[in-house]
Amino acid sequence: MNFVWNGPMIAFYVLALSVLGAGILMLSVRKVVYMALSIGGVFIGAAGIYILLGAEFVAVAQILIYVGAITILMMFAIMLTNHKAEEEPFRWTVRNATAAVGSVLLALVLLAVIRSTTWPVQSANLNLNGGNSNPVAIGLVMFKQYAFPFELVSLVLIVGLVGAVILAQERKEEE
Amino acid sequence: MWTWNNLWHWAGHPLSWPGFVGMLVGAVVILLLALLVVMYSIYWQRKFIGWMQWRIGPNRVGPWGLFQTVADVLKLLVKEDVIPANVDRTLFLLAPIFAFVPAFLVLSIIPFSAHHVFTANIGIGALFYVAISAITIHGVMLGGWSSNNKWALIGGMRSAAQMLSYEVPLGMSIVGVVLMAGTLNLNGIIAAQMHTVWYVIPQILGFIVFVIAGTAEMNRTPFDLPDAESELVGGYHVEYSGFRFAFFMLTEYVYLLAMGGLMATLFFGGWAGPFLPGWLWFAIKIFIFFTFQFWLQATLPRIRQDQMMSFSWKLLLPLALANLVITAVVKVLV
Repeated sequence: MNFVWNGPMIAFYVLALSVLGAGILMLSVRKVVYMALSIGGVFIGAAGIYILLGAEFVAVAQILIYVGAITILMMFAIMLTNHKAEEEPFRWTVRNATAAVGSVLLALVLLAVIRSTTWPVQSANLNLNGGNSNPVAIGLVMFKQYAFPFELVSLVLIVGLVGAVILAQERKEEE
Repeated sequence: MWTWNNLWHWAGHPLSWPGFVGMLVGAVVILLLALLVVMYSIYWQRKFIGWMQWRIGPNRVGPWGLFQTVADVLKLLVKEDVIPANVDRTLFLLAPIFAFVPAFLVLSIIPFSAHHVFTANIGIGALFYVAISAITIHGVMLGGWSSNNKWALIGGMRSAAQMLSYEVPLGMSIVGVVLMAGTLNLNGIIAAQMHTVWYVIPQILGFIVFVIAGTAEMNRTPFDLPDAESELVGGYHVEYSGFRFAFFMLTEYVYLLAMGGLMATLFFGGWAGPFLPGWLWFAIKIFIFFTFQFWLQATLPRIRQDQMMSFSWKLLLPLALANLVITAVVKVLV
């Protein structure tokens, strides 16, 4: 492995570290609001990595939807339902220990698989966007090549939306 | 090949140390500019509303009261930093930062002048603004929640609900402009308007939705329910004082500047205009936006809470969608 210390590489390590840090923070804090906040940090860091990969549109959509809407909805739910929601302090139990061992094993397997795979080497001047700006390239692929799956996804979303409305209504009638 | 020019035009070159220094200098210049504009927009707000209400407005500190806001800012900065005993300390301290940082961050893409000095010419500018400004909701909401005060909590909740719902029509009204220009890049949108007309004319429906949703997004009258003084004391920032309170106020006015810049760019041709230099045109357009906002503030009463949400979802969003469909149809036909 050869490391090149240029701008993007440094930025990648900073971003990766902050994503991991926010993830660990999310697992280690005991207050639910703090958890929701730190998962927002994970989302922002992931958006940064998307920008490094040249996927600006995906990065901004990630911030708009995950940080701007989903994290806030989570906090909203937490604040409206349980004002002082707190987890019990951590204790070593058989279940926790088994989970820890399982996670370490999974990490080892993943690491072994990643290291043993030969990854395709990307040529430096490969232009994924085909000369268009990033959102235009995504639009072309989505509405030409993958138009049918795209419409199917919107159908799934509508089913989800209608289902949520029906669920909420039923609960109201019970009261 | 390094020249002095690289210091200012860092966006078009690979990252280098002089370019990095240029970025830092740019950020500092924009920060100072924002602080100056905020101070004098507050002065203009007081003076203008004063005139509208048959008063004189600030006239004691400095000539014509010009140093009134400077004195107020100094007062806020040297005030005792009060952290109430039963607040959630970490979040209470972090909330003003979460609110302010995105407000400053969105300024990074506003094209202030024809040569977009100091600002990034990124391809997804319009979407970047909408996405980053959503982060501010965290600051406002956590500020209200961590204060451990019922008025602050209600204010924070209202604000989160309001900003989240008005963000949708705001984004949708921008899509009409993007569709006409064929690009998300703010400089590209200005260039497209230079070939035709200012988009306020063909996009009048989108413009109306944008102004209303933008006003609600900034929590300004008649949508100032999150900090409604007469019912919630001060809303989400009722427990804040000193420079933390100043940060919340700063956020509000920096967003006023950013939203004015965005509106001038999307609907009024940005820095484009005859005779005068680009930055001056941009400043004039933003100044008119400021004045319009203060005029609203002096004129309109506050909208009712139960009407506010349905107004966004049942009126503004369908209007924005209709505008989008009309724009798309016209674009295909013409």
